[in-house]
Amino acid sequence: KVQLRTATYIRYKANSECQNNVSSPTLDKETEDAATDNDRSDSGEFVVTMLAKAKLEEQGIGVKGRSSPLLEVGTQETPAFISHRDEDVTAESWRQHRKHVFVLSEAGKPIYSRYGSEEALSSTMGVMMALVSFVQSGDNIIRSEHIVVFLQKGPLVLVCVSSSRQTEQQLRGELLYVYYQIISMLTQASISRIFEHKKNYDLRRLLAGSEKILDGLLNLLDSDPSFLLAAVHCLPLACSLRDSLSQILQKAITPNLVFSILIARNQLLTIVQEKTVIEDARLEPADVHLLLNLIGASSAFQAGEIWTPICLPLFNPDCYFYAYISYLDPPECTVCLLLLSTDKEAFYAVAECKRKIEEAMMAQNSLSLIAKVQSYSVSQVGVSDLRHFMYKPFDVPDNYRHEEEKMRLLDLYRYMHNRIHSTSRPLKLIYHVAERETLLAWVTSKFELYTCFSPLVTKACAITAITKLLRWIKKEEDRLFIRYPPKYSTTPNPSKSSRGGKSDQQDSTDNGFLSLL
Amino acid sequence: MLMISPRMASGMQEKQYTPSLLNFFVYNPTFGQKEGEEEKKILFYHPSDVEKNEKIRNVGLCEAIVQFTRTFCPTKPAKSLHTQKNRQFFFEPEDNFWIVMVVRNPMIEKPNKDGKPPTVEYQEEEIIDTVYGAVVKQCYSMYKLFNGTFGRQMEAGGVELLIQKLEKFFYRYLQTLHLQSCDLLDVFGGISFFPLDKMTYLKIQSFVNRVEESLSLIKYTAFLYNDQLIWSGLEQDDMRILYKYLTTSLFPRHSEPELAGRDSPLRPEVAGNLLHYGRFLTGPTNLKDPEAKFRFPKIFVSTEDGYEELHLIVYKAMSAAACFMISASVELTRDFCEQLDGLVGPQLTLLASDICEQFTVNRRISGPEKEPQFKFIYFNHMNLAEKSTIHMRKTASVCLTSVHPDLMKILGDINCDFARVDEDEEIIVKAMTDYWVVGKKSDQRELYVILNQKNANLIEVNEEVKRLCATQFNNIFFLD
Repeated sequence: KVQLRTATYIRYKANSECQNNVSSPTLDKETEDAATDNDRSDSGEFVVTMLAKAKLEEQGIGVKGRSSPLLEVGTQETPAFISHRDEDVTAESWRQHRKHVFVLSEAGKPIYSRYGSEEALSSTMGVMMALVSFVQSGDNIIRSEHIVVFLQKGPLVLVCVSSSRQTEQQLRGELLYVYYQIISMLTQASISRIFEHKKNYDLRRLLAGSEKILDGLLNLLDSDPSFLLAAVHCLPLACSLRDSLSQILQKAITPNLVFSILIARNQLLTIVQEKTVIEDARLEPADVHLLLNLIGASSAFQAGEIWTPICLPLFNPDCYFYAYISYLDPPECTVCLLLLSTDKEAFYAVAECKRKIEEAMMAQNSLSLIAKVQSYSVSQVGVSDLRHFMYKPFDVPDNYRHEEEKMRLLDLYRYMHNRIHSTSRPLKLIYHVAERETLLAWVTSKFELYTCFSPLVTKACAITAITKLLRWIKKEEDRLFIRYPPKYSTTPNPSKSSRGGKSDQQDSTDNGFLSLL
Repeated sequence: MLMISPRMASGMQEKQYTPSLLNFFVYNPTFGQKEGEEEKKILFYHPSDVEKNEKIRNVGLCEAIVQFTRTFCPTKPAKSLHTQKNRQFFFEPEDNFWIVMVVRNPMIEKPNKDGKPPTVEYQEEEIIDTVYGAVVKQCYSMYKLFNGTFGRQMEAGGVELLIQKLEKFFYRYLQTLHLQSCDLLDVFGGISFFPLDKMTYLKIQSFVNRVEESLSLIKYTAFLYNDQLIWSGLEQDDMRILYKYLTTSLFPRHSEPELAGRDSPLRPEVAGNLLHYGRFLTGPTNLKDPEAKFRFPKIFVSTEDGYEELHLIVYKAMSAAACFMISASVELTRDFCEQLDGLVGPQLTLLASDICEQFTVNRRISGPEKEPQFKFIYFNHMNLAEKSTIHMRKTASVCLTSVHPDLMKILGDINCDFARVDEDEEIIVKAMTDYWVVGKKSDQRELYVILNQKNANLIEVNEEVKRLCATQFNNIFFLD
């Protein structure tokens, strides 16, 4: 009998104000406890709550409660995401959305729609399903003023209708991300099993509350170039700071802990991984993106510590890891610690690691050092004609302020990326002189570079600028990129953390940071 | 079509299949809207031996797709459907009349060991939408040239007549489609102009005027030499499709016998006229025989308020061809043909040799024509002039290009990019094989240059192209 049981704990740290009332003698026993608790390093009142316990039965009768607290927290939402759920799907404004995304099951049951509620769109979804089954299986697209891309993964069908002028490959890649995000919440194995037993199961019952996560992902896909380049944005840090943080993480380990990740302002600070079991396998950038999205999608994480099951679809789509998520600097909540373990009972052990990490960081004053780090701007590069560039290994300084301009620039980069990586006729270099800017894209075995210049730049000037830029990047390489995640070992000798560092074998994906998809 | 490329040592052969036509059909969803009458929507379907229900299903699918895309953009519905194995193109030339072409994607069949069936790899990206979309439009234009619009056919004889005409035309025309050699030039649908000096051009002009005056029935004239256009009195759109018909269908049919040796049985009967080399390509093949029947093909060209039907007379002398178009309401008699023959024959023969002489003289001056240094394609949207040093021979069945097909597809991609905006642009790319491709768009003109200079850098390539522009296009401004 198949059972999927998950448990979640959230610890809430009481507001520091509470502690001020401790001294009053009329207080009841709880606050007295709080008073004694004050002496401990983690002060405050603790509330341990079992949020969800879900059991999935083979008959697919239904789920009591919900399957993942990640979905739960989605409901305690901030106004960060404007909900499009209630939009009128017959209105002109609905049609004019730049990109629609729909997810439905093979039986035609709606699961998700980016704009408008799935109920209202059920007939459109029915048509989509008919089209999919009518036309041969595989991935199909319809091209008109919009481009319609169909993707079928297992029992799910994903459809994207876009007027964004992206190519089918790029849109299919985005649909794949949506699919993986769903997997990250449910695992591929359980989705297959559910639909095998009940073809017209309504998956929304398991995904209730997750719309915001998918909405957030789609917004990121539109605006963040790291998805396009299949790379993760790292916060540029002085080597010494990054090394010291890595060492802190390497020392705070426990059996079954496999990944320790430190994030600041949605960019990677450092990542260390377990050596023996994981060996040289790496977290794919896509998995990191999905993690970052999950964390960013809900502000409820900011409240305390979360322990939740999560699936890393590219690493292993069929099983759960258990993630400990905690912000280290409330209430600003810019620095987040993420510890992944394979043992679901290990909450307390992992929380202990966090405590050690926090301690060490406090000793080294890491948080304030991190807060001081600045993101890049083109002016730092010192190349005058350059307006914007993206380099993978990766850096995106920001010169295009206005939202629309950013989007337009990203669209241009996407178009160049598509031409360069065309499966049948790839290119090495593109130089495109257009009305508003001149673009240059260059790919070699060591890197990919996308740059943007003023439209009047001469070719000689552009080449000089690029040469200067590449030299600068080479110089700053250690600060900008994480090439080889340090490693530790949690088996036999946990105290002996072997510093993986730069491995002896040359990494085959020499472009550095976290392997390409 | 099948091309076999031998594989190396193993002796196993990889078969490359080029794109081919799977289906072609014409339908109107407003006919037969009642249940059970769906078949009435289908006006033409190729291949015709497909089961009726399958035809109805395919047409229904197209309708559904068009409707579905209208949900998102009511004014601009679907243009194409990409699937793994094939690609469908949708075109609505007239209200509610749809033409759909289904092309099978090129594929590679790799043999498997141990008697397993060969694995097939489909190459979807090889087909560029704009190219084949243009081919569909051309199919319609060609039909319209010889039959007028669908609407007109409906007026003249209802659905039955339309079905008949579609069957008659497309049955033959589809056999002439060679999808494996479609490329950028199909997108342009341009006309190759013959370069002439002023004197000779004036001679031709005055010839045309003289003939038109003597034979007042003639409404329009077109003059070609060597498959290239010199003068046309027709509207641009009509001339472009007529040009395609002449150069890919009519001329090749008649040129092969001409090229045969003097004693060859293929050589056409010289109609016993020793005064000139002129003869009719359409109409009477032998004027001497009073019993022989003849007819001229009829074409439809557009006018301000609709269209008009014309007889198409094509008369050739050596390498010069003159087309005369006369209103179809006039009956053309043998007498008239003899009159035309007598008038035009000698003059055209003279002109043809004049032009030939001029041409040879010019070539002597400009130097022997070695392999053209630059491989380029040029097209001017305003006058439809096209010039290509890449295409060596273009007939109905073969189109030889001197560059790798992948490079032609890159040109297609660049053309797509240019089409997105109205402004002038320039795109330079370096392909994986280290070939450089430069595309320039300026003021309705497009120029594509392919350079085989592996070690050149961007600046050097730029200089080379500037040099080309200076020699061949020195009075046209291209972005630097």
